[in-house]
Amino acid sequence: MTPFKLKIVTPSGVFFGKKEDKHYYTGRDVVNVIVRTTVGDKGILAKHEPYIAALPIGIVRIMVEDNKYRNAAISTGTIQVTEGGDTTILVQSCEWCDEIDVARAEAAKKRAEEDMARAEETDENVKYKVAEFKLKRALNRLDNAEIP
Amino acid sequence: MASGNMKTIKRRIKSVSSTMQITKAMELVASSKLRKAKKKTKDTKPFFTEQELILNGIYASFSEKTKENSFDTKFEKHRDVKNRLYIVIAGDKGLAGGYNSNVFKLVNHVHSNCNTADVKPKIIAIGKKSVEYFERRGHDILVKRVNFADNIKSGHCSEVADTAIKMFTSGEVDEVTMFYTRFVSSMVQETSTMRLLPLETPHQKLKRLQEESETDVTKKAEAKRLKKSLEEFQKSPITATYDPSPEAVLSRIIPNFLAGLVQSAITESYTSELSARQRAMESASDNAGDMIDNLSLLYNRARQEKITNEINEIVGGANAL
Repeated sequence: MTPFKLKIVTPSGVFFGKKEDKHYYTGRDVVNVIVRTTVGDKGILAKHEPYIAALPIGIVRIMVEDNKYRNAAISTGTIQVTEGGDTTILVQSCEWCDEIDVARAEAAKKRAEEDMARAEETDENVKYKVAEFKLKRALNRLDNAEIP
Repeated sequence: MASGNMKTIKRRIKSVSSTMQITKAMELVASSKLRKAKKKTKDTKPFFTEQELILNGIYASFSEKTKENSFDTKFEKHRDVKNRLYIVIAGDKGLAGGYNSNVFKLVNHVHSNCNTADVKPKIIAIGKKSVEYFERRGHDILVKRVNFADNIKSGHCSEVADTAIKMFTSGEVDEVTMFYTRFVSSMVQETSTMRLLPLETPHQKLKRLQEESETDVTKKAEAKRLKKSLEEFQKSPITATYDPSPEAVLSRIIPNFLAGLVQSAITESYTSELSARQRAMESASDNAGDMIDNLSLLYNRARQEKITNEINEIVGGANAL
């Protein structure tokens, strides 16, 4: 299959598409990317038309040439396919599913639940929403964690 | 007299050198943390360049459709500014030269020069020093965040951004400004402001940069770059499919974008703080070294004086016999 370039960029660095020991990042060749957008799943192959969509918390499935998918858990962001089919995914955070630290995710889930209960008592809307978001993210990581 | 003098000098040398040990240690700690922070600042850069590119692309491609270069989303509504929200980023610790006080100075300067100087601004305080400063002055602090600059998570920044957005869209504040310290180089850090809401569209930003570049040469290159990128977008607008619609995508991107800006400002401020502390501690150690030199000179002089006196006394005594 025809490859195209994919890069995944988060505020804490370039997650996918950066060559090792290099400062610049140009994207890495992949053949298929499946993302879950706010309106449904979307598969992207080479030479896809220009496309922009918002991504909720969910997973991205990436096929790097060898016919095997590698999944990554993401939190909210955007996907953009530019003219020519190169794809950029911008997300707040990203983690390979097979590298998810289950214990940490469990702890995050527990913390988020406690925060939510506390925020509900004191009726703090923003805090509640933040905790809800954190819970969603933790659940997403737990749901998609692959134990090798 | 001489021996009493010697004692005090010796005590002072001791106290200065133990202070010097502390400042030296702090300098080393700051410089090793600085190295990590610098890398982090660099790592955050690609995200913002990409994000700005997408935003610019969307705005520029649609400027034909909407005449004012604006989608009129809830993030861009300009109102008469009455209530302001300031996001003030300072450090958790002192002993960093003028780092903390410079930020507060800028806040006061900006606020006393705006048209609503008598209305107390609402504050989102980041850093212990910032919380303390505004608490003491009786400001309404919406979010307090301490001790998280060196291990920053995007979730924290979303909380700050979400609070700001909520205050803005509900009409409780009419403008949100962020105060932080830009890391220009290891030697130069400057305090600066950034307006978060109402959101500045790329065209507005270009206009502002062009106006500023008349007085500030450093802005010229930035303005030029932005202009070029916008022109390119206008020449070949992105005729992308938006899922579900440009407005929906924008209203999702913008909160992320703002959270990103907050995060980058915090990482940058933290780098500046460490750099400022390193320099402050370096000059403190230097000064301590100078002081020790001067004091040991005095000490030696006093010692010599004492010896001379003793010899004089012995010789005087011998002569008297």
